[in-house]
Amino acid sequence: MSALDDLPNLPAPAPPPLSQLLEAELAQLTPVSTRRPVRQLALLVAISLIYGVGVLAWLTLRRDLHELPMGWLVSAGLAWLLGFVVPVYLATVPRAGAVMPRWKLAGASAIIGALGFIALGLALHPSAPTSAPPLGWEHFMNGRGCLEFGLATALVPVVVGAIFLRGALPVGSRPIAAALGAGGGSLGGLMLHLHCPITDGLHVGVMHGGVVVVAALLAAALVPRATDVR
Amino acid sequence: MAEAKDLMQRYCDGDAGAFRELYALVAPRLLGYLLKMARERALADDLLQQTFLKVHRARAAYVRGADPLPWIYSIAHRTFIDETRKHKRAVVRVGDAEELPEVPAGLTGESDDRRDDVRADPELVSAALDALAELPAQQREAVVLTKLDGKTVAEAAEIAGTTVGAMKVRAHRGYEALRRTLGKPDEPPKKVAGGAP
Repeated sequence: MSALDDLPNLPAPAPPPLSQLLEAELAQLTPVSTRRPVRQLALLVAISLIYGVGVLAWLTLRRDLHELPMGWLVSAGLAWLLGFVVPVYLATVPRAGAVMPRWKLAGASAIIGALGFIALGLALHPSAPTSAPPLGWEHFMNGRGCLEFGLATALVPVVVGAIFLRGALPVGSRPIAAALGAGGGSLGGLMLHLHCPITDGLHVGVMHGGVVVVAALLAAALVPRATDVR
Repeated sequence: MAEAKDLMQRYCDGDAGAFRELYALVAPRLLGYLLKMARERALADDLLQQTFLKVHRARAAYVRGADPLPWIYSIAHRTFIDETRKHKRAVVRVGDAEELPEVPAGLTGESDDRRDDVRADPELVSAALDALAELPAQQREAVVLTKLDGKTVAEAAEIAGTTVGAMKVRAHRGYEALRRTLGKPDEPPKKVAGGAP
């Protein structure tokens, strides 16, 4: 095996001179403001929340809001908020000393969020006298408006995140994009949590939780092209 | 010589000289990696230039104070993967075998007749390089990064965009394949095929 042991000691090859294209780019070199992940995260969260509040103000708050158990209302709302902030944090902020975000953790957070919110919606869906009647399987598709509004809410964090991460993701761009999508989807879920009076488990689990899944999948499919630098 | 992150910061501040220093510091190592991956000097040179062009265009994505090397290596990795896919998609029609150009250089970046300059047994080194070139791309990359470039498994996994476990398996399988190939003295390793894998 001595031949293999000798390989690391081979002299490094001499690189070619810079190409004309690179020389031309260097001739017009200008200072750039580099990426500040924490600042970007704060901006992304702020812009997304303002947009989410705007969408909610347009759609109005759910009519049964004051009759629902406050503990559930607050804790489920916090869960949706965490489902937004945590994946977005992992997708934008790298560990100290690194350029690229933590795609493995970001991807895992997207999967946990997607499955978790479906399970949460199916399992916990208290209702009040003024809540909307259950849709059930028969009228299940009537609730698709929630999926559409949720996805519309998810659009802003995903687009802002994609702009911020341009060039930062030579590898792991799909899991990072999925995390952005899941985060945006969770913001959509939070908005639906405060707007939609339908308390049917199937609707809450599949339509509201489904926003996270669909947003994550769409982002994973579309965002990597947007963040790529050619 | 200044550290890569200091050079990267000065370069982002608009210092073209810092970019040249960064190139002088990083390009030889990066070219060594790309040569072992691409198996062809001209292609490796092209990939190196493409990599630095992408680094230049994406420099605003750099985070001050961070080590730029894993990021630059990942860009090189991505560039190599994209180029390989492009080659796989392209249907290239060639003429007779006699018309094919010779492989222009060996994996060290030197022409075959200069491989003898290596101080270690040149035949063994040549055989090892040929055996390395025969490995599947993922295993080759794992061996190159962990065994030849001296990166840790975690660093190599970060560069290649895979998990530590997967990188360990690839490196182990690649190294075992090399040991098997090089452990058969009666059976000389196959010659390096030109072109991208």
